[in-house]
Amino acid sequence: MIFKHRQLDNGLTIIGENHPQAQTTAMGFFVRTGSRDETPEISGVSHFLEHMIFKGTDSLNWQQVNEAFDGIGAKFNAFTGEENTVYYAAVLPEFLPDVARLWSQLMRPSLREDDFNIEKNVILQEIAMYKDMPQFDVLDQARALHFGSHPCGNSTLGTEQTIGDLKVEQMRDYFSRRYAPNNLVAACCGNLEFDRFCDLIESICGHWKPAQADRSLSFFEGTRQRRHLQKDTLARHHICLISPMVSMQDPRRFAASLLGMIIGDDSGSRYFWSLVDPAVAEAASMQAETMDGIGAMYSYICCEPAVAPRVAEIIKGIFSDLSCNGVQEKEVTAAKNKVLSALTLKSEQPMGRLFGLGFNWVYSRLYRTLADDIAAVRAITVDDVNQLIAEFSPGQFSCLSMGPDVQENPLF
Amino acid sequence: MKERLDSHRLSNGMIILGEPMADVESASFYFLLPAGNAYYPEGCSGAGQIITDWLFRGAGSRDSRTLIEALDELGIHRNSSITAENLSISASLESANLLEALDLYADILTAPLLDDEQFEPSRQLAVHELAGLDDDPQHKVRLLVAEQFYPAPYNRPSEGKKADLESMTADSCRRIIQRQFDWSQGIFAIAGKYDFPAICDLLEKRCAHLPGTGAKRPAAGAPGQRYTHEANEGAQVHIGLMTRVPTIQDSRYYDIMAAVSILSGGMSSRLFTEVREKRGLCYAVGARYQSLKDHAAISCYAGTTPEQAQETLDVTVEQFRRLREGFSDEELQRAQIGLKSTLIMQSESSAARAAGVAGDYYYLGRVRTLPEIRQKIDSVSRSSVLAFLNDNPFDDFTVATIGPKPIQL
Repeated sequence: MIFKHRQLDNGLTIIGENHPQAQTTAMGFFVRTGSRDETPEISGVSHFLEHMIFKGTDSLNWQQVNEAFDGIGAKFNAFTGEENTVYYAAVLPEFLPDVARLWSQLMRPSLREDDFNIEKNVILQEIAMYKDMPQFDVLDQARALHFGSHPCGNSTLGTEQTIGDLKVEQMRDYFSRRYAPNNLVAACCGNLEFDRFCDLIESICGHWKPAQADRSLSFFEGTRQRRHLQKDTLARHHICLISPMVSMQDPRRFAASLLGMIIGDDSGSRYFWSLVDPAVAEAASMQAETMDGIGAMYSYICCEPAVAPRVAEIIKGIFSDLSCNGVQEKEVTAAKNKVLSALTLKSEQPMGRLFGLGFNWVYSRLYRTLADDIAAVRAITVDDVNQLIAEFSPGQFSCLSMGPDVQENPLF
Repeated sequence: MKERLDSHRLSNGMIILGEPMADVESASFYFLLPAGNAYYPEGCSGAGQIITDWLFRGAGSRDSRTLIEALDELGIHRNSSITAENLSISASLESANLLEALDLYADILTAPLLDDEQFEPSRQLAVHELAGLDDDPQHKVRLLVAEQFYPAPYNRPSEGKKADLESMTADSCRRIIQRQFDWSQGIFAIAGKYDFPAICDLLEKRCAHLPGTGAKRPAAGAPGQRYTHEANEGAQVHIGLMTRVPTIQDSRYYDIMAAVSILSGGMSSRLFTEVREKRGLCYAVGARYQSLKDHAAISCYAGTTPEQAQETLDVTVEQFRRLREGFSDEELQRAQIGLKSTLIMQSESSAARAAGVAGDYYYLGRVRTLPEIRQKIDSVSRSSVLAFLNDNPFDDFTVATIGPKPIQL
């Protein structure tokens, strides 16, 4: 594979990883903006804007956009998180120029008011949908509890109130600040001709004006608060635990992902043997989420309401053992093997490589090969993982639970 | 595009199929056995869910913990699932570990411990997962509508029924394995980087003694009722809808796929355009083709707020019915290119190819080559799709809803 990059005069960065033998090509625009870049009155605007991008430009309406993607057989979508909005597509290599042209044009949308009003209903439907999915709802509310006033606690979806009140002018203003070329990365991976790809992007995006698109960065270890929400409509008890962890820029992020796997992988982890294998809980997982200058470990557990106190005791036992005895060599080896085979499998398709390629550049302005990642994982020692436990105390977490029962005593 | 298919039959009748892939370091395998929930005696609904978990709780000389540790040590990404018709066990891993992994899976298939004490947690997990469906109405409504649409016993939900799961014993599950698991019908498919003679040799040595039981495919009864509603005070009404179409063996299969694609293949499709883009009724709306061996459907889901539920159902049904009035050449072209593009993207994934090879052999008794599928997609025409739609005008729907109040069909 061959990596290339080019920066346009207006700050837009273009990166590409060429795999000449690939049967497909994946490309995407990575916009460094998300819910943490919003103020309370425009909560949810990043995600709403992501929907509005598909509504077209001054020369393309929404129908033409949808037909253009489907007409080249693109597998395409977009997602919005706390700190990134990503637009991506996989196509056959001969359609790369078409899809690159289309996404480039869409990065300068019209944001028409009538489209805005129709799409507002879709966003309100999406908010309603997630309310019926407690496994997502508990995570969203736990994040708000853990991060308190830190912007990483902002809701990606926003609320019925903020979306209902949002004006198209507020979205246009947000767009002009956050979708500046110096805040965008165009990434491409698979069977491609990099110079042609760059020339095409430059011909459409090269005249866009840069703008100030800062983000305030601060580490926050979390509120470590606990809260239970009683909801009659629920059948199960849903628990989310969040504790601090290293950031995406920290080389220890690989050790953090191993720690998540040792504690909460869906097979052979501490949670698995203590909670899922003996059928105390039907789901128990943990993973590291490393972000811009900050990071967190997230656990999700789902169980019968009556056994929630027992689940809590078991979890306390797991973290107490980890803080006294640390992890074992055997656990680190198994976690490494799982991470390494996941890396290999994911990298076999251009779409699997695209996100790693794009995010490495967005966060650290650096290119990492698959071999770099494999070497980083292989080099991790038991001490590396244990030092993370000592420094970040994953047993000292914020906890949000929801279920049908009134909880007289806190779980933790 | 690859055209080579490796094939070998074990002495007990089990078929081994392989599709090599260039430029990959992984291998994926998919084992399919026609031994799903429909094959079990009355009162055993959900036994498959228990069995697929129980099988992994120790095998050969390894107890539950050492077996899982051995699988994890090899970095295997594994899955097992159960439907009304089939039990399937699949895995993806680095090719270098393949033979060692197959040795472990041979233990799981031929010498599972099936300990009494490990049965109870497997059963309890199945009970918990069934109870958890109440917090996942989007998934539950799909099960509700399928339960009414398919004829018994092919309508049995893989999650099972509460009363059945509660009365199941280790002995009743062992009996199901002994009597209903006809290993001569097993299909083992592998894709990616592998050594076919070595695999056949290993499987012949380890699995060829597994017996054929002659378990018969059960006869189909009558389907259920046309509309079912389950009350739930959630934020949305979840709508599941199914309508009958020919199965994958039918010569019109590619016409059906084109019709489904025009209806719901991408963002320019009819359902997305009319239900979401023009009216803003839904966030999630979509339809897909779903087939058992003798019964097939287009299955559709839409989730919306209670005030808009009736309009959502009406607009959705209208889109199905209006398809036979015609479509543009561009719509058909987009459907064809979408189908071909999906095909090529799947051909880059060893896991998708292993599942595809096993599925083809199960449904068709042979494996279609990628050029053949491509040619069939290309040969679909406006007149062939319209002829199919005239024979299948989508005027009969089975519907289920979960939400605060019922809607009118």
